[in-house]
Amino acid sequence: MTSTDGTDDTKRPSAGRLIRSLGELPLDVAPPRDLWPAISAQVAADKAQGGAGALPAGRSRYLPTRVQWAALAAVVFALAVGMWLGRSVLPGKGVQTGPGIVAQSGDPAVAPGANGPVGTNNGTGVQPGGGQAVPAAAFVTDPRYLKERKEMIAALEAQLDTLPPESQQKVATSLKTIRESMKDIEAAMGRDPANALLQELLVNTYQDEMRVLTAVHEASGAGRGI
Amino acid sequence: MMMASASSTGEEIGWEAALIQRARRGDSHAFERLYREYSGRVYGLCLRMTRDAAAAEDCAQEAFINAWRALDRFETRSAFGTWIHRIAVNVVLGKRRRVSYGTETTLDSEVLEASEWSFDTPVEEEEIEAAIAKLPEGARDVLVLSGIYGYSHIETAQMLGLAEGTCKAQLHRARKLLAERLNVEMG
Repeated sequence: MTSTDGTDDTKRPSAGRLIRSLGELPLDVAPPRDLWPAISAQVAADKAQGGAGALPAGRSRYLPTRVQWAALAAVVFALAVGMWLGRSVLPGKGVQTGPGIVAQSGDPAVAPGANGPVGTNNGTGVQPGGGQAVPAAAFVTDPRYLKERKEMIAALEAQLDTLPPESQQKVATSLKTIRESMKDIEAAMGRDPANALLQELLVNTYQDEMRVLTAVHEASGAGRGI
Repeated sequence: MMMASASSTGEEIGWEAALIQRARRGDSHAFERLYREYSGRVYGLCLRMTRDAAAAEDCAQEAFINAWRALDRFETRSAFGTWIHRIAVNVVLGKRRRVSYGTETTLDSEVLEASEWSFDTPVEEEEIEAAIAKLPEGARDVLVLSGIYGYSHIETAQMLGLAEGTCKAQLHRARKLLAERLNVEMG
């Protein structure tokens, strides 16, 4: 049977067949050319710019920021513990613990910059023995500081034994927090060595450690608990 | 649903999720693998919606770039294929609003022959594709998403920014027109 337009009606597909045919059409159509080079170029540009919308690049920027915030939070906590320890143990003024090393009472109103290698509060420089500023990062490599720190850490265990268990626990917690902060900050600095905030945080964290060590030193010498 | 076939096993989903995680961390090689996996499907959708090979290339390319930039907004519990399709539809609709290639024109046979359909398929498929290309824009969009790519009425309506009822009506219209043009007996 032939219809008026000349087609053979017996060969006309049904609507159901048409719908099935639609579902059987290939879903994938290969692009005539590889689009990846152009996409890749844009992705690379986004990563290089690190601009808004470059999410993975933005994420990579975000990681140090998150580390910074975590480090900052840890430092704040450690500082609070250090201040608490300092107030519990130390007299109202800084305690001379060695050449050029001064432990502060923890009073934030006291400018630490006036008290030797541990005395920087802005990350831009310290005043070793007074006067000449040095880069903040130099603080942690100052031989006098390193020697003093090494001696205090070596003496720490013996000093801790003289303290009540509760005080020992407080000190251990404080030092653990501080050292975890140091690791985080140093790891972040590995990725961003020129970051002034990280340098400052690192210096502050070393200062916090020294405050705790000094507090233990003084407390054990005075025979008091923390 | 075609995306189900793309990620039908847990192993495939895990593989895809791992690539997405790596891409989110800035690994462009992982993103390239996602592109290789989905470029055909995205380009196919764009080509069917735009009826223009060059425009489809532009749209597919832009869709992947937009996806890269928005990876952290992708929810891994949904299918990447569906997500990239949504992005592609948005790109096509956006371009359609800005440029004129989406105007209601019908393609004559010469244009269809010259277009870069790359199907290695029987004539019947070519005829269907040609008939789809001649459909009015709104009907064609719905038919492509729902009839070919298997999205539900709700999904199709969401992608196109239509009411579900409008979507159903457009699909009915598209099938009717298609049947007429392919000399298919309806009902």
